[in-house]
Amino acid sequence: MEFPELPARGHGFEEIARLCAVATGFDPLQPEEPGASQLLRSVRLQLCGVAMSLFHLNKLKHTEKRPDVVTEHSMGIYAALVACGSLGDGAVLELASRIGTCVARLGEKCDYAFGSIVGLTETPLASIARNNSACIVNHNTSRHFLLCGRRESIDCAAKEAVSAGAFSANAFPCDAPLHTPLIESIAGDLEHIIRDYEYFPPRIPLVDHLAQRQLTAADIPQFLMEDLCSPVYWEKTYQSLRKMGTTTFVEVGFGQALSKFNRWIDSES
Amino acid sequence: MSEELIPGVKQLIIDALRIEGMKPEEIDTDAPLFGEGLGLDSIDALQLVVAMEKEYGVVVPDAATGTIVFASVRSMAAHIAENRT
Repeated sequence: MEFPELPARGHGFEEIARLCAVATGFDPLQPEEPGASQLLRSVRLQLCGVAMSLFHLNKLKHTEKRPDVVTEHSMGIYAALVACGSLGDGAVLELASRIGTCVARLGEKCDYAFGSIVGLTETPLASIARNNSACIVNHNTSRHFLLCGRRESIDCAAKEAVSAGAFSANAFPCDAPLHTPLIESIAGDLEHIIRDYEYFPPRIPLVDHLAQRQLTAADIPQFLMEDLCSPVYWEKTYQSLRKMGTTTFVEVGFGQALSKFNRWIDSES
Repeated sequence: MSEELIPGVKQLIIDALRIEGMKPEEIDTDAPLFGEGLGLDSIDALQLVVAMEKEYGVVVPDAATGTIVFASVRSMAAHIAENRT
């Protein structure tokens, strides 16, 4: 995976990059510079993503659009913690770096992959996942899912998904089995990292994707742990926010994937 | 035959993908829809598949076929003309 295109200089990204360099030793403005950081490439990629989300969040803060509620999807938890006022920019960048480095250790023992499956519904895909010892790790819409597991399992699952009528099935490597129970094998180390931070009470309600409940400051460490070991339930979260009366969604991060998932969910309702 | 379908296909793209502020005549008939051009992705592809099936009764069974069909508005119109019932 290539490093993403970052904002042009002079638009405020430099401040986020500086914070990232101070907090983690990695400067997103020089992602490929040899010897610039001891961090793994995968962690540097994640930090670029978090830094970009924080940059977009800062831009949003300068508008009149103050959100009534904040939610998140996977790595989006870091920007969400900043958006709701629970952690600061520097702290989440450091937290992302430490968690990313910790979970990447799992990838030293085994090759893992994600499998993006488009077009199948959950029931046949769950069967395919079971057949291949893979896990559904993102429930994005009724027909957009992400699998995770050992590389060979995901390759087999992707082939089986296409045979079963999936519109597309693409496997790509990852360095850790994120959002699977396999993360529980390093739970102690992760809890140690997560408990190193003080989480302030959210000033804006923070709704989690697991149970669609409003998290308190005391809930956040436990949620962060569960989040790493559990699937992301985006469709349920979006539908729940809709029912709560949310009418406008602003996506903060790379691309427009969540907005497109929302469009799909709306088209079925 | 497929030429006549081109305005409708452009409107289908705008409606299915909810592209705000774009008029059909602003979509280049021969420009690539994915990557460059409109910059569509696999999430958009499935949305177009469903819309084409609903509007024209035409099926795009898989991503390999989709790569050919969704190469441009013209290729979409051609696929519809050849396959619609």
